[in-house]
This record gives sequence, structure tokens and C-alpha cells, in this order.
Amino acid sequence: MTAVSRPRPAAVPYVREVVREVVPVPAREPSDAEVARRFCAGDEQALAEAYERWAGQVHGLAVRAFGPGPDAEDVTQQTFVAAWTGRAGYSAAAGPLPAWLVGICRHKIADTWAKMARQRRSAEAAAADVRSRPDPTDTARVDDAVADRVLLLGELDRIGQPQRRIIELAFFADLTHTQIAARTGIPLGTVKSHIRRTLERLRDRLEVDGAALHP
Amino acid sequence: MPHSTPEQLALAALGEPLPDADAAHLAGCAQCSAEVAALRRPVDLLAVPELAGTATEVTPPPQVWTAIAAATGVSAAPPSSGAEVVPLRPRRSRTRWLTLAAAVLVGGVVGGAAVALTRDDDTGGAVVATAALDPLPAEDASGRAEVRDADGTRSLQVDLDAPSLPDGYYEVWLLQPDAIRMVPVGVVHRGDTVLPLPDGLDLGAYPVVDVSVEPMDGDPTHSGVSVARGSLQR
Repeated sequence: MTAVSRPRPAAVPYVREVVREVVPVPAREPSDAEVARRFCAGDEQALAEAYERWAGQVHGLAVRAFGPGPDAEDVTQQTFVAAWTGRAGYSAAAGPLPAWLVGICRHKIADTWAKMARQRRSAEAAAADVRSRPDPTDTARVDDAVADRVLLLGELDRIGQPQRRIIELAFFADLTHTQIAARTGIPLGTVKSHIRRTLERLRDRLEVDGAALHP
Repeated sequence: MPHSTPEQLALAALGEPLPDADAAHLAGCAQCSAEVAALRRPVDLLAVPELAGTATEVTPPPQVWTAIAAATGVSAAPPSSGAEVVPLRPRRSRTRWLTLAAAVLVGGVVGGAAVALTRDDDTGGAVVATAALDPLPAEDASGRAEVRDADGTRSLQVDLDAPSLPDGYYEVWLLQPDAIRMVPVGVVHRGDTVLPLPDGLDLGAYPVVDVSVEPMDGDPTHSGVSVARGSLQR
């Protein structure tokens, strides 16, 4: 630090105003699309802005799944960390950023279920008295469903648009195929055909790799 | 009747009602029923209420952002909770940001625990406000600040626990919550320092006690490197 970097009255060095304005307040609120674009470009302020706008939505999903507390907080944290580190995988063409965040949040919820199931299983394995264990068939069934859910969410990620959006509206927004056609502007016949192909694809994935059929 | 179309069977798997003829056929056809059952498995797994797209929004507690910032190394902060992150004029580095939100929240919590008791003592008058100074992320300075009032003359006593600086010095500031405007209070040493406060300064408008590290560069503005902060509690 050698030189004074800004113009300053030379005759009055080191005089402080009592109150000093450091930086003007940014006047304009960036649009969601602008936040998404800067997020993808790696602008740290855009991560903070995305959190400000959509953390409530993401945390709402986490709290619904786990109740308020550390599990939900972990899911929300992991969602934003994964979104930030995986931001190269986001494409604006595939939908708005908050929808992408919600998709990641679903993964984190399913992962947490799977982790809980593993922990429960190892806790039960550690229990010495076999007769005190819960019905092993029930436990196994729940664990399988949990693992299959993780598998299917991964498969959903590999489905292109508009097929993915169509099936997500059916699964997660509980829309009928007629409502989906109206919402997306895609012809009814095309919606039906996409739904069929996507369901067949998911079924096939379960039959090949699903835990439930491979105990 | 012929078998239902694959499209109809997929809709049946989603739980949509079928036209009467298809519904009647499905009820009596083992092949079509088996197909619906197989297609329904992914529906049953994914179309569960816990994964549905809409839930009541819940604001996460402040430690969630703190953890995200720590995991990503991002030093910006969301402009939430009435606290705004404002970049100070960059001096050493273009990427240093003055982070306020988390620290003020933490300060508020800790400061709330350290309830200010108005008391007189022999040295500097009645304590009218206190702040617990908590380290900003990745800093290890902390301490406590007290505003005292002796017959209308106020002073700020700062008790600072911080590493010694090979060059540079610590300075204490009173910030507005938006961190845009601030009043310099003075140089503080490690340990106790008492500094006079300007008469007429509204502490309600400048409630955040901020300790910064200042280089010996003759620049009187805030360096942008804050190490500890807290909110004054009356």
C-alpha cells in the first residue's frame, strides 16, 4: 500500500467525515432469469440472491419431509451446495432455476431417506436380541422402496424435455394429462404418448436395477 | 373388446379415470391389469406427497446459509433478515466483501443472551448498551463492547480478544444495519480500550459494532476486512 488511490483534498489528509457513504445502494432488483444467468456464470452474489429468493421454497419441501430441524436444514444446505458446485449442469432451456433447485431437493430428500434406512438397518443389526427386532420383511420392503426412489429420480434426470416436464407435472403437481396439455400447450396426443413412454422407461429401469425385485 | 391402448394403460397407472369401455375391459383382462400394475410402480414410488412440488414456504434458520457459505467458500450473503450485504470499496482485493447478515444475526442471538443491565461503576458511568462481538467466518477475533453514559457523555469500551497484528491495527466502527453508512470510533488495542462517542450520535441508527483490521496505508476508510461484529442491545 504505497499510494493514495483516490482523489482526496491534499491539504486535509486523513480527515474523516463523520458519516461516509461507502458504496451506493444498487437500485435495481435483478430478474429471476438474470439471477439464474449470473448463478451459472459463477457469480457468488447470485448464489446469495438465489438463496434469498428460493431457500424458503426448498426448505419448505425439506421441512414437509422431515419436520423442522437438522435433517431438513441439511437437505436445504446440500441442495444449494450441490446446485452451486453443479451449476454447469443447469440449462435455462430446461426450465427456471427454482424448478431445478426443487429437483435437486427431491434428490436430497430421497438420499436422506436412504441414509436413514441404512442407519436403521445397521442399528438393528447391532441389536443383539433377534427376537426384539421389528418384522424383517417390513423393514426390507421400506428400504427397497427408498433405494428404488433414488434410482428413479436419477433416471428422471436423464429424461429430456419436454418429456421430463410432462411426467413431473403428472407426478409432482398431480395434473391430469388434459391439464398438462393445457398448461404446456403440447397437443393431448403427444402428452399421452410421452407419459406412456416415460412410464415404460421408468418401469424398465426398476425391472433391471430395482432393489425390490433383487432382494 | 380389444386390449386397451398402451396410452390408456399408462393413464390408468397414473390413476386417471378411463373411458367406460376401457375400464370394463381392464377389470376383466389379466394382461392389461398386469401392465397397469407394472407401470404403477414408478408412480407409487415418486408421486408421493413428500415429493410433491408445492409446500408451504419455510424460511431456513440463519445457520443454513452460514453452512452453505462455508461449504462453497462464498463470502457474499443473502440480503435477508433486514441485513444487507454490501461490498465495501475494495482496497486490497476486488473479492473481499463485507458480510453482514450472518454476523448480525449471530450477534443478535448472543447479544440477546447477554442482557444489558444498567449499572453504575466507578470508571465510566452507567452501561446503557452492550454487544457481544462474535468472529466473522474464518476469523478468530471476539470480544465485548459496552456503551457507557457518564452525565450525558458517552463512551464505547471495547474488550477485544484477537491475535496481534504484525502490521496494521484494529479499528472499531458503528455501522448502520445495511453496512453502507458507518461512523469510525477509533483504534482499539487487544484487551480493553475506551473511546469517546460523538455527542448526538443516534445509536439506534448505528447499532452494529464492527472491528476491522486496517493496514498502515494512510487510508482512513474501512478496509473491508471485518473480523468481529455484534449488535448493541439496550
